[in-house]
Amino acid sequence: MTKTLIHVGFATLRMTTPLVLAALGGVFSQQVGLLNIALEGMMLMGAFAAVVVAAAVGSSVVGVGAAALVGLLTALIFAFFVIHLRADLIVAGLAVNILALGLTAYLLQVLFNTRGAYAPKDLEGLGSLTIPLLDQVPLLGPMLSGHKWLVYVTWLLVFLSWLVLYRTPLGIHIRAVGEHREAAETAGLPVKRIQYLALLTSGFLSGLAGAQLSLGNLTLFSENMSNGRGFMALAAVFFGQARPLPTALACLLFGVFEAVQIRLQMTVQIPNQLPQMLPYLIIVVVLTVLSLRERRLSAR
Amino acid sequence: MNQVTFRWRSPLFNIVQALITLAVALLMGALVIQVSGKDALGAYRTLFTTALGSRLSIADSLLASTPLIFTGLATAIAFRAGVFNVGVEGSLYLGAFAAAWVGFTWTALPGFLLIPLAFLAAGMVGGVWGLLPGYLKAYLRVDEIVTTIMLNYVAILFTSYLVNYPFLAPGLANSMSPKIVPAAQLPRLMKPSQLNLAFPIALLCVLALWFLMRRTTLGYELRMAGDNPIFARWAGMPVARTILQVMFISGFLGGLAGAGQVLGVNYRFVDGFSPGYGFDGITVALLGRNTPLGSLLAALLFGALRSGGSTMELFTDVPRDLIRVLEATIIFFVSAQFTFEFLRRRRALQDLSAS
Repeated sequence: MTKTLIHVGFATLRMTTPLVLAALGGVFSQQVGLLNIALEGMMLMGAFAAVVVAAAVGSSVVGVGAAALVGLLTALIFAFFVIHLRADLIVAGLAVNILALGLTAYLLQVLFNTRGAYAPKDLEGLGSLTIPLLDQVPLLGPMLSGHKWLVYVTWLLVFLSWLVLYRTPLGIHIRAVGEHREAAETAGLPVKRIQYLALLTSGFLSGLAGAQLSLGNLTLFSENMSNGRGFMALAAVFFGQARPLPTALACLLFGVFEAVQIRLQMTVQIPNQLPQMLPYLIIVVVLTVLSLRERRLSAR
Repeated sequence: MNQVTFRWRSPLFNIVQALITLAVALLMGALVIQVSGKDALGAYRTLFTTALGSRLSIADSLLASTPLIFTGLATAIAFRAGVFNVGVEGSLYLGAFAAAWVGFTWTALPGFLLIPLAFLAAGMVGGVWGLLPGYLKAYLRVDEIVTTIMLNYVAILFTSYLVNYPFLAPGLANSMSPKIVPAAQLPRLMKPSQLNLAFPIALLCVLALWFLMRRTTLGYELRMAGDNPIFARWAGMPVARTILQVMFISGFLGGLAGAGQVLGVNYRFVDGFSPGYGFDGITVALLGRNTPLGSLLAALLFGALRSGGSTMELFTDVPRDLIRVLEATIIFFVSAQFTFEFLRRRRALQDLSAS
């Protein structure tokens, strides 16, 4: 029993990392009032860049850096069209996702002559860390220790995000722009620049999410690897009301369901498509509950 | 509320603008091809000659555009009403399965009954599937973008389960359903191409939707809901009910798209058969400015691109995923389009204030 719990707990933390990172990206863009549905695409681009660069250079750390950079660049394109050319936010976001799907598949073919997946031999994944005292703690220890370093960095970033948003002037500016754009503009805040910054940050973070996907969990890139995680991250942002810690916890909740369904697949004899539906259904349920709660609150 | 609203422009203007967008996208695509060290001109030449070079290739282009017409219409009508339905893919899968089920279960019926029944079943299943996120949006204000995307995965997984377990064709290793009876198979229009009856049916849907949007009360209500929801509510229009109706129609058309593929091309339900027709519908709808006729033209264009793209991949070595990159570029520039007017107006205002 405890062994299963530990397994599920460990798997949850491991698998939630890309979600949390992408959701943090979503938090920043949501806080400036921009609904960012391009998280999925930016994550995919990051995942691709991570594997390609890590394989080419021989270092997974460089791969992670490349992923963040590519995410940033993708966000730059997105931000340019949305902020400067006033393209519709949702439409441009969809375009980014389609672009990511097409470009990664295209480059996969052009660069490596493969379809479907690219799994270079001798690709070292991210290094794992064991935390010396923590891993002695019963139950929690083996759950929390031994993860890839990016996992720990992620939770550090959660803390940093909270710090920036709620304890720095920049954070106040960001939230002001999101709260009431015209007022912020009147007060003299450089709204466009702040929005750019927020979108670029979300690109950076989504790129990191992609790196964890392709280098942290497995060590390969497969087409459409993100598989809806960017949208799950968005749902987490709604659930957590764009606050870093609640959002991260919401990601954990979704991650639990994902880990549970994988465990179910291994242990129980049901067709694997059925448990796979769980995370997606849960999100629909969560969003519904959220809306119901909002309605009840506003009715008072 | 995020909406895709297009200001009215004369049809000629729209077409010219669409062509310019296409030209820019092709240019970008050429850039991508050249940078990856391949021959852009040769690729494009193959693309166009194989898409439109002979009667047969035109037929194939029309074939490729058939599902896109359905999904384009499905997406367009939802977008027009201000509903961001990204769930057409899910309706497509469920509708496809429903059509296949009718086709391999009700084997005693003659063709002229079986085919309409299969289409109807597909449409109804797809439509009902669309009602779920529609209800959540209409009455609980749940954002439809994330819910429809999530439900897509649910639908795809569910049909995958169905075809791999209860309805797996006996004796086969692949994840396919039993084959539908010959009576359910749509007649071919131009052998040896696979172009079939689904294409004219799609054309009929274009007409039907044009009629709906321009000549019916529902059409007016949904256009108002999309253009000016505040006015719509104030005027007493049943916006919530309109959203439900729109989501049903959108899902219905998505289901028809699936039925067209099953009854006309594959003759069975195949796990994962759709290369993203539902999502392509978004591109089609946007390029067609959310109108039935525009969607038809855009679908024809993309059908030609896709059909030519596969051959382009065979004869040159440019992967057909480039077409997706082209699609994305088109969407970017279409969505930025009405901003060029905005820039022009701003410059005009600046000139005014400077004088």
